[in-house]
Amino acid sequence: MSTLTPNNPNDNYLNHTKGIRSWLLTLDHKRIGIMYLICILLAFLMGGIFAMMIRFHLLTPEGTFMTQDQYNQAFTVHGAIMVFLVIIPAVPAALGNFVLPIMLGAKDVAFPKLNLFSWYLWIFGLVFFLIALGSGGIDTGWTFYTPYSIDKASSMGGVIPALIGTFILGFSSIFTGMNFIVTIHRLRPKGMTWFRMPLFLWATYATAIIQVLATPVIGITLLLLVVERTMGIGIFDPAMGGDPVLYQHFFWFYSHPAVYIMILPAMGIVSELISVHSHRHIFGYKFIAYSSIAIAMFGFLVWGHHMFTSGQSQLMNVIFSLITFSVSIPSAVKVFNWLATLYKGSIVLNTPMIYGLSFIFIFTIGGLTGLYCATLATDIHLHDSYFIVAHFHYVMMGSALIGFLGGIHHWWPKMTGKMYHEGWGQISSTMVFVGFNVTFFSQFMLGSKGMPRRYATYIEMPEFQVYHIWSTSGSVILALGFVICAIYLLHSCFCGKKAPANPWGGRSLEWQCTSPPPWDNFAEQPEVGDCYDYSVLEWNEEEQGYVWRADAKHPGEENV
Amino acid sequence: MMLSTVSSLLLATTQGAPANFWLPKQASTSAQGVDFTFFVITWICYFFFFAIVAALLIFMIKYRRKGHEIIVRGPTHNTPLELAWTILPLILVVVIFVVGMRGYLDLREAPAGSYDIQVTGQKWSWTFDHTEYGATQVGELTVPVGTPVRLLMTSNDVLHSLWIPDFRVKQDVVPGRYTSLWFEALAVGDYNLNCAEYCGKDHSKMFSIVHVVPKEEFPVIMTKLASEYEDMSIGELPAYAINRLYNRCQSCHSLDGTSGTGPSFQGLWDRVSKGEAEFTSGEKLSNLLGDATTYNIPENYIRTSILDPQAHIVQGYLGSMPSFQGQLKDKQITAVIEMFKHLDEVTDAEGNITVNPDGTPRQ
Repeated sequence: MSTLTPNNPNDNYLNHTKGIRSWLLTLDHKRIGIMYLICILLAFLMGGIFAMMIRFHLLTPEGTFMTQDQYNQAFTVHGAIMVFLVIIPAVPAALGNFVLPIMLGAKDVAFPKLNLFSWYLWIFGLVFFLIALGSGGIDTGWTFYTPYSIDKASSMGGVIPALIGTFILGFSSIFTGMNFIVTIHRLRPKGMTWFRMPLFLWATYATAIIQVLATPVIGITLLLLVVERTMGIGIFDPAMGGDPVLYQHFFWFYSHPAVYIMILPAMGIVSELISVHSHRHIFGYKFIAYSSIAIAMFGFLVWGHHMFTSGQSQLMNVIFSLITFSVSIPSAVKVFNWLATLYKGSIVLNTPMIYGLSFIFIFTIGGLTGLYCATLATDIHLHDSYFIVAHFHYVMMGSALIGFLGGIHHWWPKMTGKMYHEGWGQISSTMVFVGFNVTFFSQFMLGSKGMPRRYATYIEMPEFQVYHIWSTSGSVILALGFVICAIYLLHSCFCGKKAPANPWGGRSLEWQCTSPPPWDNFAEQPEVGDCYDYSVLEWNEEEQGYVWRADAKHPGEENV
Repeated sequence: MMLSTVSSLLLATTQGAPANFWLPKQASTSAQGVDFTFFVITWICYFFFFAIVAALLIFMIKYRRKGHEIIVRGPTHNTPLELAWTILPLILVVVIFVVGMRGYLDLREAPAGSYDIQVTGQKWSWTFDHTEYGATQVGELTVPVGTPVRLLMTSNDVLHSLWIPDFRVKQDVVPGRYTSLWFEALAVGDYNLNCAEYCGKDHSKMFSIVHVVPKEEFPVIMTKLASEYEDMSIGELPAYAINRLYNRCQSCHSLDGTSGTGPSFQGLWDRVSKGEAEFTSGEKLSNLLGDATTYNIPENYIRTSILDPQAHIVQGYLGSMPSFQGQLKDKQITAVIEMFKHLDEVTDAEGNITVNPDGTPRQ
């Protein structure tokens, strides 16, 4: 690595070293973040194509163009890619890697080599998924439920590579989590106390705890499944005295907390978006920070609500139902705090903010419909129906992914040094919002009226066709929104206007370094103040961005 | 939407409400309780959703930024307010929990003296055994109206889940153990029964119809179903056997020529009558057939294979078939043998059944 040249304004992390090797062997958290971002967006494109196949197949009760087996593969691959390759790593590994050390005032994460290794593990995970597709396909659903997944005669041949891929991705996730925990504990500069950290860091920290504690459980479970399928040890196979429901306990012990791995970092992003784009001090900082930790903790105790109809005892069902409601409280607290932040704000409806407000709207629906699923009497009817499909898409796609998109737009000028076209951004984000709601709201009725999920055909239930047509129409709007987004973002990389250091008027530390940031983030240790106090900034016409007000006190000395 | 929900909330307090904006019609005694819970939650959701979105819209419009000037105003926290919006929802969700739990316990506890039906799920059909009448149904379930019915369920292969949306009941069906659910149908009619747990290729075709019939007709239908083969001529038996009896064989014996736990039924009669099979004991079937041998005619070999499957085990198989001694009447065994002889008339080359129980071609 060459010497640092902190005072050269033209030097940044993108042009500091050149050549493909300088990227593939980089230890710079920003470059690793960008590599994650590119790969995850490609995986998202792949998962999205499968999603569109599903939607178009279901336009008629007989199915339009796939066989039963092809459809079963399509929803399995869609789910597995979106969960394991896209949403789980999206915010922490891509945006978190880029932003977390800069927000913290650090030069890098605590273990840069481990960080690069995580990225390579992600690539290996992807390779195993591709092997799974090539070696007979996979049709178990992303949940790999036993005994179907261990039945070699009926489930397809790609199960083992897919399990190994997921196992490897798990390690990628654990290493990222460990890295972030240590970074936040050990690399905070002078003045960056826990309660001065931006809320995105609290959310990432809570997420990292779940990644480290829960992911090993899925690792062990998937290995057991591999051993069961290859050697028949009889732990899950009822024919050998095993218990197929035990698998569900193991699986959801990870996969429920994994829902919070997906949503918590997105909530962190939204806390930033809402505050920065309304120039308003975040309302109830401590309640939001603690609610992230509370969600992470409660999230470990509620996995049984995925199994209300599985045959587990009534007593367990009642207990799990009660604990599940506890998760709704910190989630509600966040929504109320965001609303209170908007109150008396100075709100600009730019692209990141449209995503931020979309998140609040969609997460409200996603969260409230969770009440039906936590309630025993109603969940018995709604379980494994399209109602559940709609509910978790409202949370995992409408909330987690829209938060991710909001984050991409928020930090795009910082990451690329370029401004994207704001008008197209607003059109595209509005299309995503409308398209998403049309696609998935109709699925609530579909489910509550009796359409089971994972159905390739619905010949006996032709009355559901109208809802499927609505849903597919919405998905077209949604897909177009994404395509427009991809076009203007790519365009901005080459032809975008140069981004100022602080285009939005943000106060957290990443807005104090240049866009794109220098190779080593900060030439000298930054001074830390209240990251939500915007009173010290003012607009600078020449820079087309916000700068420190001439008469304001230095960071760390203002009204603490 | 609002109006239809208002009326549905009122209707949810009367049994047997018709379909509304959210839910299908109520066709069981439990549906009313479930729907009541559903609409309690729905109203809470409407309140919070509209309140949150209204606040969002008002703030978006009222506090819209004009120009680039930084304006800083408004409080940064308010502990009593924040405590209030933590504790009030907590109380509300406890209420929802209690309402939902009571509804659930009603849903789970079958009344004493329910009519019991054994249910078996297997890829990709449902089998319903009325043990009281000795009658078996595949792909359709007949139950009496106004009578508590309890389904005792298990699976022959992978997980399934039995769901009757109009009854608001669902329960996973698990191999290696029993699970149960109960319902009491409110009105005579036909209702959909689906598999709700993904179970492989034809998951979406694992469909049955629930026929709810008048109480006094039910025993008549069952008795007829149990003894329908007794008056049949020999030519009618293959269609009967493939529809009413084969479901007990299908998890091990295919119709399309692929080997399972046991040999396929396709071409079975051909192989047996030519004596082609060789047993694990090293003996050949051809030595056991013919005058003055163990079986003289092949029909007797098949009869023994059904009633005492361990007597001869074909090479390449484990011999895990249970005995059907006492489960099949003589005429039913004859029906199975006739089914083997005329298998190409009741199935196609892919192993699909092509006739109905009464011999008419299946659509």
